[in-house]
Amino acid sequence: MDDQVPFNSTFNGTFNSSSNSTNGTFEGFQPPSPPKSFWTNLLLPTLYLIIVIGSLYTFSNLYRKRQVAKTASLEPWFPAHRQRDIYFSLLHLDPAEAGGEDDEKKLKRVPDSILKAALMQRALEDIRRIVQLRTSKQALQTLLQRGSVGDELWQRFLRAEQEMEAEVKDVVNEANDFSPNWGQVIFQSANEMNQNIVIKQRIAELQEKLASDRAWWDKKKAGIQSDFLKEVGASESSESTTAATPAPAVLKPGSSDEEGVLVDSDVPTQAQGGANSKKKKGKK
Amino acid sequence: MEVPETFTQLSLNIDPASKAISCDDPNLSSDIEELNKLHRNIVGLDTPNQIPLPPMPVNPKRSVQITKLRESGNAAYKKGTFPEAINLYNLAIRMASDRPTWEASGLVREELSALYGNRAQAFIAQQNWAEGAVDAECSVELKRVGNIKGWWRRGHCLKEMGRLEEAAEWVKTGLEFEKAGPDKQNVGELETLSRDINKALEKS
Repeated sequence: MDDQVPFNSTFNGTFNSSSNSTNGTFEGFQPPSPPKSFWTNLLLPTLYLIIVIGSLYTFSNLYRKRQVAKTASLEPWFPAHRQRDIYFSLLHLDPAEAGGEDDEKKLKRVPDSILKAALMQRALEDIRRIVQLRTSKQALQTLLQRGSVGDELWQRFLRAEQEMEAEVKDVVNEANDFSPNWGQVIFQSANEMNQNIVIKQRIAELQEKLASDRAWWDKKKAGIQSDFLKEVGASESSESTTAATPAPAVLKPGSSDEEGVLVDSDVPTQAQGGANSKKKKGKK
Repeated sequence: MEVPETFTQLSLNIDPASKAISCDDPNLSSDIEELNKLHRNIVGLDTPNQIPLPPMPVNPKRSVQITKLRESGNAAYKKGTFPEAINLYNLAIRMASDRPTWEASGLVREELSALYGNRAQAFIAQQNWAEGAVDAECSVELKRVGNIKGWWRRGHCLKEMGRLEEAAEWVKTGLEFEKAGPDKQNVGELETLSRDINKALEKS
């Protein structure tokens, strides 16, 4: 910057000294020296700027790279996406060489239907992951604000979120490749798949209890029966056949008719109340 | 950040005849099995491009069949041939659970809830309280509100089995649900059952 001072001073000096002369002489006199001093004087500031900007750039570049490397080295939020692996493996699978060499009709490529199935499986897994991310986001944010969890966990979470976004986009694109507009509904379908699977698991769980319940009740029933037999006494053995069922014998004939009405009225809900109350009377 | 442009290549095999995928890795077997199942469903589609349609509306064929099975089950129940009714309900339940998995789950819930409820009723009529209780619980699990009969059935079964405390608890929960539900006016039956159970509890 110091160099600018002589430049200015010479310029002013020349200007002052030749102030009386005409413009023509001024221009005619000046050209040889100013360009040179102008460029040499500009050299240092530009150099300065280049160095400053360059160092800032390299620093931010390095910093960012390091940051990326750091997040990349973090443990991923989700385990490996197996459905995605399967889908891509199928895409790249060449059945002609992969298997069935002795079969006459070789497949030229993996049929589309399989790829579609694989893509739906992939979408299903995506839905599960999205649900998991959404449910944990709130809790994680609160924990982060309170300082209960580290920043690293939050970084991992953000990374997983970004990855999921890209993954969803990718699935939609793939679906649209198979059939236009499929991309708009594939996640709806996948969501229903997820729901249905949840329902089935729950029902299976409940039905599993049946065996133990049944065993428990059989045992208890046997206990009640023997108690009942003891009470009645061995002399009245003829009655033991009727008492084989522990529940009061009145119950059955009264209930069966009425409940027939009840089950039948399952579709129109209006009739349920009446049937139900009737059934109740029968049961009592 | 983009999705990494890499994936793990898995050694998958495809059977040219059946087009079934197989894999040597035991960790993947469940995934592969799911895939093949879904594939069979997709192959059976007759939609353009063989693309699964959006969840609603569903293919009406299956719904009609399920309703038919349920109605014949109800008819058998009315006649008093409970084992036959249960068989028919079993068929209908299997049919409803075999819907292609991408079809609307709300519908599946509705259907299965009604079917499990009816089967529970058939079990109750035969005094198979254990089965009735489990089926009624399934019915309630699928449809919690507006399912007074489901709540009542399990409560009744538990009462008959002598699990009175459990029954009282169950009916109480049911009352809570149903009082907020759409047919509040019909909770009378549940209330009566609750009173009966409480009486029985006091006695014991």
